Formats: sequence, C-alpha cells, structure tokens
Amino acid sequence: MLFFAIRRLVGAVFVLLGSSFLVFALCAASFDPLSRYYTLQPRPPEAFFDNLRAELGLNDHFLIRYWNWLTGVLTGDFGETVNGTPVADQLFQRLGVTARLITAAVIIAVILAVVVGVIGAVRQYKPSDYAFTFLAYLLIALPTFWFAALLKEFVAVGVNDAFDRQVLYTLGEETAALGLYADGWELWSDRLAHLILPTISLALLSFAAWSRFQRAAMLDVLGSDYMRLARAKGLTYRRTVIKHGLRNALIPLTTVVALGIGTLFGGAIITEQVFVWNGMGRYLLESGIGNNDINVVLGWLLVSAVFVVVFNLVADVLYAVLDPRIRLS
Amino acid sequence: MASTKPQDTTGSAVPAEPGAPAGGGVDREFGIRARSQRQQIVRRFLHNKVGMTGLVLLAAMLLFGFVGPLLYSTEYASQNRNAQSVSPGTAGYPLGSDAIGRDLLAGLMQGVQRTLLIVAVFMVIALPLGLLVGAVAGYFGRWVDSSLMRLVDLILTVPLLVVLIVVASNFPELRTPQGVGLILGLFGWLDLARIVRGQFLTLREKEYVEAAHALGASDKRIIFKHLIPNALGSIIVWVTLAAATAIILEASLTYLGFGVNQANATSLGRLVSDGVQAASTRPWLFYFPGIALLLIVLAINLIGDGIRDAFDPSNRRVRA
Repeated sequence: MLFFAIRRLVGAVFVLLGSSFLVFALCAASFDPLSRYYTLQPRPPEAFFDNLRAELGLNDHFLIRYWNWLTGVLTGDFGETVNGTPVADQLFQRLGVTARLITAAVIIAVILAVVVGVIGAVRQYKPSDYAFTFLAYLLIALPTFWFAALLKEFVAVGVNDAFDRQVLYTLGEETAALGLYADGWELWSDRLAHLILPTISLALLSFAAWSRFQRAAMLDVLGSDYMRLARAKGLTYRRTVIKHGLRNALIPLTTVVALGIGTLFGGAIITEQVFVWNGMGRYLLESGIGNNDINVVLGWLLVSAVFVVVFNLVADVLYAVLDPRIRLS
Repeated sequence: MASTKPQDTTGSAVPAEPGAPAGGGVDREFGIRARSQRQQIVRRFLHNKVGMTGLVLLAAMLLFGFVGPLLYSTEYASQNRNAQSVSPGTAGYPLGSDAIGRDLLAGLMQGVQRTLLIVAVFMVIALPLGLLVGAVAGYFGRWVDSSLMRLVDLILTVPLLVVLIVVASNFPELRTPQGVGLILGLFGWLDLARIVRGQFLTLREKEYVEAAHALGASDKRIIFKHLIPNALGSIIVWVTLAAATAIILEASLTYLGFGVNQANATSLGRLVSDGVQAASTRPWLFYFPGIALLLIVLAINLIGDGIRDAFDPSNRRVRA
C-alpha cells in the first residue's frame, strides 16, 4: 500500500513537470508581454523594444526561459504582473477566496447527492425517484450562468423581501473593504451571506451528475448477494441499506468527487464572473487575459494543474484504501 | 440422414446471417424471428420512453430551427428603430424584440441553426481525432499507448474551459460559430480517445480479433472492420453527450466573451448570454433563449441515455 502510494506520488510529480512544460509552451505561444506597447501612438523606437526584450529575457531560448520560470516557481516566485507587483501574493489570496467557494460547494453537493441518490435507488421507479431524475436532467442541461442568474433573480430577491433586509448578497465575496476594519464574527457572517448563492449555483450543477452516479452505484449494491445475505441473517432493512449498502456504494463516488473537484475549478470561473467574486476565476479573466499578463496566466494554470493532479492522486489512493479488492500491481 | 444431406455434415457451421434463415424448421415451429444485433438495438431504443422523448423533442427543435424560417419570414438581422425592446405579443413580434429592434423568434430560429452548425463542426474535427488517437493507442499498446495517453493526461490537467479560454483569447477572428466549433473540436477529443482506448484494450484480446489476425487481416482492417463496430455503442453515447457538452461550453465561452462574440454572429449561447444581462428588465430575452437551449441539451442527453440503454440493457434488469 505504502509503495503504491509512493509510486503514485512520484508519478504525480512527473505529470506536474510535464504539465508545467505544456502550460508554459501554451502561454509562450499565446502571450506577447510587449503587445501593449505595439499600439502606442507614436510607436516607441525599436531600441525600446530591444531593451525590454533583453530585460524580460525574451531573447533567451525557450527552454532557458522555461527553466528560469520553473526554478522561480519552485522557490515561490511566480514572477511579476505587468503592473510590477508579485503574482504569488495575489494568486494565493485569490486562491483562498475560491477555496471557500469550492469547499462549501463540494460539501453541499456530496451530501445532497448521497441523500438523493440513495433515496432514488431505494425507491426506484417511485414518484420521488422520477422527480429527482427529472430535476437532475434539468440541472445537467442548464448553463451555469443562466442558472446563477435565475438564482439571483428569484431566490435572492425573494428571500431578501421575505426578511425585509439584505440576507443574501448577489455581488462580491464580501462587503467592499469590510476586511479592512472588521474581523471575527462580523466579517465571517458577512462572508457567509455572500457565499450562499454562489455555493448553491456551483453545488447544484455537480450535485445533479453525482446523484445519478450515486443512484446507479446504490442500485448495483442493492442487487448484490451480500445484501440478500444480510437480510436473511435477520438484519432490519434500514440497517442493511445503511451499514452494508451505503458504505459500499460510497466507494465509486469518492473517486468521481475527487476527479470532479478539478472540473469545479473551471466551473467556478463562470460562477465567480456571475456573482462578481474576486477569486481565481476573475483573476484569470481580468488580470490575466484581460491585461495580457503571461505571468498571471502561467501561475493560474499551474495552480489549477496542481489541484487536478493532487486530487487525481487522492482519488487513486482513496480507491485503493476503500476497496481492498483493487490489486495494487 | 448423413447420406441424404452430406453437405450439412461436411460443411462448417451455418453462417450466422441476420434475418430469418430460409426454411429453418425450428424457427417455424416456435414462430421466432431472428433479429440481428442492430435490429435489436434499434428496437430497444424505439421502445425506450426516455430516448424517444428526447428524439421527439430534438426533432421538434430542429423543425423549429430549420423549417420555422420558411414559414416565418421575418429576418433576424433586420433592425427596427420603432420596435426596440417591445414585449412579447406586440404586433409583428410574437416573442418580443431586443434592444436594437431585432425579432427574438427569428433570432431563436437562427440560433438553433447556428448551434447545430457549431456541434457539426465540433464533431467533424473531434470525432475522427479522438477515434484515431484512441484506436491507435488501444490497439498497438506499449509505448504508443503510454505516450499518447500521457499526452492526453497532461492536457487534461488543466480544466477544459480554461484551455479554451486561453486559446480563444488569442484568436479574436474565431469569434464566430464556425470558429468556436473549431476550437471546441481541437480540444474536445481527449475524453473520446480515453473511452475508445479503454474499449480497444479489452476488445483486442477477444477471439475474433485473434481469428482475424490468423486469417491475415491487416491492422487497418481489424481496427475499422472489427474493433470500431464493436465499440460503436460507447462511441455513439459519447457523440450525444459531447454534443450536449459542446453546446453548454459554447454558451459559457460566449458568456465570458471568448465565444460567438463577433458583431453579427448569432448562436443560442449568444442569445442566452445577452439575455442574462436583461433578466429583470426584459425577461423575455432571458427566458426564451434559455429555455430553447435547455430543451435542446435536455433532448440530446435523453437520446444519449436511451442509446446507452439500448446498447447495454443489462443495467436495466428489464427484458427487451
């Protein structure tokens, strides 16, 4: 088991290295740090461009630039933005904001998916099963931003009217500049109120697919021999379903969830854009691509690659731990 | 017996032809008609309520998009300064109009057409690419497999949406339906390659592949005549699900400003993302495109599930 985990870990490091190379190649081909000077009127002299190229190291060979960037990243230096501020500080501050969103969304989505999936399987072909199935189909077919706008339009306005004060917020990750003077309960309750709607919109979309998956896994388990044996031994139905059924049916879901977190990272971009959250997503769109800033995009892509690779690793190891039948060869 | 019909005993087994064998005594006695595998699959699909609902829904949307413009002659491109943002039901504007006086109903029809165009371009690029890479990796195995699949793994370490954003941001001239289809296609084959490879890894160990090898069939023939037809179920299911994903991705890209965003370009995603800004002030611009998109994606997903059940009825525990 330990060897398996270590081998996977080493493999993951190599995948990350390859991924960082690919990411660097993609960005080096896509972004020209000098492009914002090309359109200046009057156009700066060629000597200016030559100086800048030499200063930014653009004249070096591609592999040398990659090496310089990589060694920088490994020591925590993600380079500077076009405005001359270090990328690393901003990136990790933004990552914290997005991590709040993704963590909350994953927790809600998993709990809902398990509950709904199990209900759907236990009451297969009953009205509740059909209702949840229909709901899942609808949610899977919805574009994130349309659903989020729907939430803003109905849920936010409705709840706020019902309480007669602003309970749910539709813009931003916290009240502007509140972090400067408030802390403790005031700050976190404000953040929580800002968190609810984006979390729901992000969670419900993954929940739909996961609940279908959980339902299928549960149906598989319910039809197995050991469930019949458990019943034959005289256990109550409830106990067989929860102790023997659910625990086995959760194994496939862990993998799917671990792999899905990487996708959520991409999905969060849209959610953040709709709710004007200043997290990773908007950092990529506004500061990165909007400003044509190669270091920001590079840092972003690397962080997301780390996320995906780490959770792939977690999925592999979790699967082997949870299901001893998996051969570790 | 043997003396009267010597050819039966000396010849090989009766070839398994689809359809009713001529004069099969057993068949006549029990009144069973043999069905080929394809006939069975089509039959199962036609009896599948979910799949048929999807098919009918999709057919209705296609009729709306392609036959609708023949019956409803208003041009989407024509702007009317006197009918800006009129609500549904206004004379001449059954579903209302947008801020520059374009008719929403005509826009929806055109949007459905363009969205289908995007899916078509996407498929034309992604399907052969994914099939080829997956087939080569799965069939030849060894270093071909490991290098191709590592490459796929590496690309998949970055969320697909982000790759699309970064690539699309460099090509403003691709902000048209065809262009978005192209970009989607260039990066949308990765999961198909994984699926096909997985199928091929198991299929190539089967006896009929060995038999084809022994008979001297070329690799090309085995891949195209034996393996791909047997992996067809998963491939078709991928086609439906990927089509649905492509439509959603196009809408998301357009919403973020990297999709169908050129001045005169239309798609359902464009209409939906333009409508989001008008959700509270001009709700018809928000709801109608959103619902149209929802119906198409829903229909395609339902068809996909129907096809999956038709190819693999085992998980239904229902006799087909």
